[in-house]
Amino acid sequence: MNCQQFQEVLPYIIESGGNEEEEAHLRSCPACAELVQDLEYIAQQAKLILPMHEPSPRVWAGIEDSLHRQGLIQEGRLSLLGHVTIFPPQAKSWTPLGWLMALAAMAVFAVLLINYHPQLPSAPPSAQNMSAPAPSTAFEGDDQQLIVQVSQQAPDVRRAYEDSLREVNTYITDAQQAVDKDPADAIAQQHLLDAYQQKEMLYQMATSRALP
Amino acid sequence: MKVMNKLSFTAVAAVVATLGMLQAASADTRKETRLEITPGGTVNIVNNYGSVTLRGGSGRQVLVAYTLHSDKVEVDESTTSDKLRAEIRTHVLSDPKPTVEETRVEYEVTVPAGVAVNVSTATAPIVAEGLSGDLTLSSDTGQITVRSVARVHVHVRGVTAPVSLTSVSNGHVEITSSGGEVQLVDVWGPKVWVGTTSGNISYRGDCSGGGDYNLTTHSGVIEVTLPETASFDVSARSVSGSVQNDFPLKDKPHSFYPSKAGSSFSGTSNSGSSSVELQSFSGRIRVKKQPSAAATPK
Repeated sequence: MNCQQFQEVLPYIIESGGNEEEEAHLRSCPACAELVQDLEYIAQQAKLILPMHEPSPRVWAGIEDSLHRQGLIQEGRLSLLGHVTIFPPQAKSWTPLGWLMALAAMAVFAVLLINYHPQLPSAPPSAQNMSAPAPSTAFEGDDQQLIVQVSQQAPDVRRAYEDSLREVNTYITDAQQAVDKDPADAIAQQHLLDAYQQKEMLYQMATSRALP
Repeated sequence: MKVMNKLSFTAVAAVVATLGMLQAASADTRKETRLEITPGGTVNIVNNYGSVTLRGGSGRQVLVAYTLHSDKVEVDESTTSDKLRAEIRTHVLSDPKPTVEETRVEYEVTVPAGVAVNVSTATAPIVAEGLSGDLTLSSDTGQITVRSVARVHVHVRGVTAPVSLTSVSNGHVEITSSGGEVQLVDVWGPKVWVGTTSGNISYRGDCSGGGDYNLTTHSGVIEVTLPETASFDVSARSVSGSVQNDFPLKDKPHSFYPSKAGSSFSGTSNSGSSSVELQSFSGRIRVKKQPSAAATPK
């Protein structure tokens, strides 16, 4: 049994345990063993978190849209509340690995979204300093989690995420201050929205990069 | 005698170098595969390191040629039974984790007309040329290049990946890049949207097609170069940066925001068929007139 064959039956292995051949492959292949371990962990964490904090339908719609755009799912695969629709076996046109990856992506992304609270300064700095980059190089909370996620990647990739995260946080801070200064300023509001979209993109890309 | 010694040494060095190159080349494995795909189908490619080159082709098969540099990775390919989706994915086999060099795979993919392609890489550059299906390209740091595509949706996402689009006709273009520079040359269509955090944005073309052109950045520079014949309606504003307009514009009767010398301007060129919106937070915005062909020094 090779890795591809093993991964095609992975959902069934996680659900009900594998047969001798599958277990033998699992023992002999560290990559698949690590994959199984990661997926079991994600599944456990998702179970713990999802019932406590059900995100709004908008969040699920965003995830679904993102998965559509990335070609990971097709129309009608997810309901608005994020529950996977069960299809009869004969309607299946997606591999079990595809399902599992989508579920894993949803779980990881949901954890990030649930815990995502932008850090805004309590006292805005002066207007002259509005566009100065944040001096702090340390990240907190979810941002730190994002950096941990990409830490397994090449050093320049990790650096790219760190720099971008720092810059987008500055963008959010600047735009938020502009909105606070003039709440009727539609351009400032648009900048704030764009800034959050930039940050969302970083989280989405980091999450997809962290998938096996 | 000395000359002879030198020549011998050079010859030996050349032989050693050639053998070394042959040895290195022999470690590479080049493979080719063909995947059936239905018109309107989608090809998904995930390859973190190496490169992905896409070219337009004909027929109903995706031709995938790839070069592996170690036996620590393999390429998984599959198609769904309805031939609507093909997956091509670089897969790491060994533990401990191989080096980036060992993980590198170079892909050359020929895609039939009307087939959409999604590509995701970490550092691998992506080149897409002459395709006629929708493109969704995403890279952390690898250069993304799109050339000569028409009537397609082009979605690009990058962290610090530089992005270059050339000769995109009648396209729906959406580019989101955090720190990567975005260059658009002769890109036009119903929608051209670019958003960056710190990446510079440059546009060179005529903003034709009566479309919406929206370029937004936080701290990057926006530079737009247009011919005198361009027909557009422009609004530009930088919150704390500066704006500069070298283009002859007529005042707009109604503007979304009032022109303020140095920080915002708006106006119309010719009949104003396209809408051009340029927004920067702290970066500089400049709209320039493209020198006419007669005025261009040869």
